[in-house]
Amino acid sequence: MIPLNWYLALSAIIFSIGLYGFISQKNGIRILMCVELMLNAANINLVAFSSYNDDMSGQVFALFSIALAACEAAIGFAIMMSVYRMRDSINLDELNLLRW
Amino acid sequence: MAYENLAFLIPLLPALAFVITFFVGKKTPYGGGLIPIFAIAASFLISLLITIGLLQNPDQVISQSYHWFAIFNLGILIDPLAAVMLTMVTFVSLLIHIYSVGYMSHDPAKPRYFAETSLFTASMLSLILSDNILQLFISWELVGLCSYLLIGFWYQKPSAASAAKKAFLTTRIGDVMFLAGIIVLFADLFKLVNGIIPEGVYLLRFDEIFSFIPEIAAMNATILGFEVSHLTIITLLFFGGAVGKSGQFPLHVWLPDAMEGPTTVSALIHAATMVTAGVYLVARTFPMFIAAPQSLIIVAYVGAFTALFAATMGIVMNDLKRVLAYSTISQLGYMMLGLGMGAVIGAEAVGVSIFHLVSHAFFKALLFLCAGSVIHAVGTHDMRELGGVAKVMPITAATMVAASLALAGFGIPGTSIGSTGFFSKDPIIENAYLFGEHAGNWFPYIFAIVAALLTSLYIFRLLFMTFAGKPRTNYGGHESPASMTVPLSILGILALVFGAIVVEPFNKFVNSTFVNNFVNMDIPALAEVGNYELVHHAGQEPLLILWMPVIVAVIGLLIAFVIYYQKAIDMSRFVSKDNSVYKLLYNRYYQNEIFTQLFAVKFVYEGLAMAGYHIDRFIDGIVNVISYLIIEAGDSFRKVQTGVIQHYSVAVITGVSLLVILIKLVMEVF
Amino acid sequence: MLPVLSLIVLIPLLFSAFAFLTKTREQARVVALMGTLITLILTLYMYFSFDSSSAAMQFEELASWIPSLGINYHLGVDGVSMPLILLNAIVIPLLILFTWDDVRSTPNRFYGLILAMQGAVIGVFISLDFFLFYVFWELTLIPLFFMVNIWGGPNKRHASIKFFIYTHVASLVMLLGIFGLYFAAWDQTGVANMGIAHLMSQFPMIGSGIARDAIFLALLFGFLVKLPIVPFHSWLPDAYAEAPTAGSVLFILLKIAGYGIFRVILPMLPATGSPDMMITILGLLGSVSIVYGAFLALSQKDLKRMVAYSSVSHMGFVTLGAAGLVTLSISGAMFQQFSHGLIMSIMFMSVGVIQASTGTRIINDLGGLATKMPKLAVIMMLAFMASLGLPGLTGFIAEFMVFTFSYMNVPTFVILALFGVVITAGYHLWAMQRTMFGVYNGKIGKVFDLSNVQTFSMAVIALLVLYFGLNPSPVLDMMITGSNEIVSLMAAMGV
Repeated sequence: MIPLNWYLALSAIIFSIGLYGFISQKNGIRILMCVELMLNAANINLVAFSSYNDDMSGQVFALFSIALAACEAAIGFAIMMSVYRMRDSINLDELNLLRW
Repeated sequence: MAYENLAFLIPLLPALAFVITFFVGKKTPYGGGLIPIFAIAASFLISLLITIGLLQNPDQVISQSYHWFAIFNLGILIDPLAAVMLTMVTFVSLLIHIYSVGYMSHDPAKPRYFAETSLFTASMLSLILSDNILQLFISWELVGLCSYLLIGFWYQKPSAASAAKKAFLTTRIGDVMFLAGIIVLFADLFKLVNGIIPEGVYLLRFDEIFSFIPEIAAMNATILGFEVSHLTIITLLFFGGAVGKSGQFPLHVWLPDAMEGPTTVSALIHAATMVTAGVYLVARTFPMFIAAPQSLIIVAYVGAFTALFAATMGIVMNDLKRVLAYSTISQLGYMMLGLGMGAVIGAEAVGVSIFHLVSHAFFKALLFLCAGSVIHAVGTHDMRELGGVAKVMPITAATMVAASLALAGFGIPGTSIGSTGFFSKDPIIENAYLFGEHAGNWFPYIFAIVAALLTSLYIFRLLFMTFAGKPRTNYGGHESPASMTVPLSILGILALVFGAIVVEPFNKFVNSTFVNNFVNMDIPALAEVGNYELVHHAGQEPLLILWMPVIVAVIGLLIAFVIYYQKAIDMSRFVSKDNSVYKLLYNRYYQNEIFTQLFAVKFVYEGLAMAGYHIDRFIDGIVNVISYLIIEAGDSFRKVQTGVIQHYSVAVITGVSLLVILIKLVMEVF
Repeated sequence: MLPVLSLIVLIPLLFSAFAFLTKTREQARVVALMGTLITLILTLYMYFSFDSSSAAMQFEELASWIPSLGINYHLGVDGVSMPLILLNAIVIPLLILFTWDDVRSTPNRFYGLILAMQGAVIGVFISLDFFLFYVFWELTLIPLFFMVNIWGGPNKRHASIKFFIYTHVASLVMLLGIFGLYFAAWDQTGVANMGIAHLMSQFPMIGSGIARDAIFLALLFGFLVKLPIVPFHSWLPDAYAEAPTAGSVLFILLKIAGYGIFRVILPMLPATGSPDMMITILGLLGSVSIVYGAFLALSQKDLKRMVAYSSVSHMGFVTLGAAGLVTLSISGAMFQQFSHGLIMSIMFMSVGVIQASTGTRIINDLGGLATKMPKLAVIMMLAFMASLGLPGLTGFIAEFMVFTFSYMNVPTFVILALFGVVITAGYHLWAMQRTMFGVYNGKIGKVFDLSNVQTFSMAVIALLVLYFGLNPSPVLDMMITGSNEIVSLMAAMGV
């Protein structure tokens, strides 16, 4: 059986990639994708712990999280679409109307 | 007897008359005058019956107490002192009200006038028959309110509104002292009974207060390095109240201005109500003053000084009513002096002083009503425009002469011939002589005798300038109607004969005030509390001293006759703007400038109040600065919100990481 | 038995909602009048069946609310709160009558806010649970804020926000004090309980003297700002002067701070680290307020600001009486609250009438109004005289009791305050002379006297001022019982 630590390491790597992308990217779509990456890293954790502890609630939470991620993605992309229609760009640095 | 149970009606009837007249006065006869007249007449009858009953049996003092609120009561105390005051006030007030029906007949605001005068009378009556110092204070303030309303009766006149305000404020200074006296007194009494007050015992009742005099006198306080007895402090504070109400120096400034009201109001204020309240207060609390000799001496000095001080101003005034106003101040000074002489002769001083108060009430009411009659007929009160009024108004002139003789105190010592003023004022001056002999201090006597000279001078000056000679201007005029001349005649007769008839029994009656079934004071023992001894009056003064007051009165009359009737001496050198003495007197020692301009306007208003205004701006400024700083801080801090999503995410990640580290650390420590 | 206390809070709040729903001015004012009249009837029923010789809480209602936090729905009245409830229940219907003919924007909101205010203020007086107390306490802020903000004078935005933030910050400090007390008591007893009486009794058990002082001062600060007392008064002149007449009267009826001082501060006082210092603070601030407020009133040019400052001056008597620490000085302070509510209501109504009629409140622009407005002149004169402490009217009873009985404990401050009395007379008479007396100022134009409803509502209050001035016992007796209870609580507290 694969040790738990391996799953945790995988999850940490994916989370870090997602985090790096979230911080460094300016394109809205990419940022959304990075958010998805981080969510999935968390899902891996949930499932891994669930399997090792023989407790199904972790898997249930993972399902919740996936459903939430789907909703979030749908709304996120919809927002990006309308932003693009208005601004011809989805560069988030330009979307700063609410600063200060 | 039954009429004792009617005692509560004495102040209540005029108070009811006030309510009725105030609301429906227009619909009642004589412009609202009839109901007050009947009410006060009834009060007068009850007072008279009670006085007669008391005269027959001086031990049957009426004393009734009712619980009011907390530990205070309302009550009625009619002892000889109160009885004579009640009778005098109701009588004089009744005559003034009858006179007012004629005098005020042309004024559209008659109902208000009669309502306010009856409330005035009611307050004064309630003041006189209070059996406790709190009720006395309350009535005292109500008297002040009524005087405010009545002096400002013609409120459309700015000068009247301003005079009313001045009267209220000046007396208010005294009132606050009086209140402070009550507060200190109550605190002492409360301490003496250890805070335990049985049901039905009211500490502020006069009998309770008097029973604690030695204990209060034994309490000492140190003020500015001087050891002072609490009793001295309390009595001086009470006297402060009396100074305000009775127009003594230096709080007398309101009284001459009080002329702005109708003349009848002046008569009411100067004779029956208001100004006598201060003298009454000192007389009522006299046992306290006896045990505090320093206070008594101060009363005497202030009285003597006021008597002279006011008389000096009386001789240069040209306004009929102002001369009389200064005369009132001067005579009130005599009354205070008379009370102060208690330091020598004990409780007899009360009888002497109150007798002067009553006789003064008669002749001063008469003087004012005569002046009112003249003013009513000729429409001016500047004496320089008058002259020869006697021909037009013989009854008024005759009564005026009677009043002047009484004021100047004409009479023959050693006999029972003399005007009322002679029998009332001379004993005061003789007592001052006795005081001088006893204490080696002649100031009160000298002041009193000089003031007597000036009194005679100013009143005959007034008489000659107004009634004698030829008219100086064209004034129409006629004798006043009967409603005015009848009161004048009654008062005129009283001014001449009252003193000779009643002086002996009166003094005896009033002197029994402090020994009866209500209180039983041993006055000489109280003097011992104050560490001095009383002299027993025996009347063995030299003949010259007995004659002295009359001699100076005659001198005053002669001077006035020579200057103002014969015009033998040219006064124009004296009466001119260049003469500094005349200027000083005519400008009333610049009191108005000092009190109103310098003290009230410059110091209190422009100084203190405006300083307060700026301090408040400063306090408000601090609040505003705090809010400004917070707004500014937020303004600079919000720059953190750059609008760049990556900045936010870095902040979030840093924050979460720090939190994790922190929790880890904390967990390790515990 | 009828849950009277719940009803007198809920009925105004319920009618407030009705009033908001109405469409026209006529409907709104009728709803408002009905609501307040029902409250008045219930209050009178309560007043007449109140046993003024009993120190216990009466008409008590107790229900569990949030048991895990020890929060209860606990209501009750005693001699401390009954007169204040009566004051509110009497004056507010009269206030609605007073504004009967006024035309203003959104009358439904106007009357809705008045009713909400009544419910909230009465709620503060009858809450025996600190949580409930604080909820109602904060609820009073909202109607007053909107009163000033919507119908206020030219400077209304500044005044309303200043009032809101200033007093709200103070309330938050007070809330900290409440929490401190609550958690400290929880620690000691192991039981969560927000009951005021419970927390009071636990206060002396708190170990650390600094903690006790901090809790005490936090609560005191909240009350002193709301009262207000110099130097925390600067929200008051702006708020009072900018508020519409009804708003000013509602401010006047907001007697919750003084109530808090009697209910909370005094019983705690002996258990603080240095009671003497606390008494000095109370007494000093009281007498300074009396004198300072009087001088400030004297310096004002605007009649309404003058009245506002005189209110500061009068509030000084509340803390001065509280500093007296004996039954009758505390009762005097309570009576001052009651009397002040009546007197100042007439004062602000008079000023409101003058402003509506002449279009100005600047004292020097007025003059000789007595000839044109005789009814107003009489009522205003009575109010002014009551305010300057004339015997026979309520103001005197309060001032006399505070002076006389505080003198035994804090003589210096009483003597200082006595100077204020002369100044008080000064500015009242000065204002009276400049506005009412003298020659009628023709520049004012045509003025009109009080309407009949205005006369009625002002005259009823004026008669109450006279009645309770001549016969204070109907409310004073229950106040004395209440303050006796406070004094015995204090004695039990003294370590």
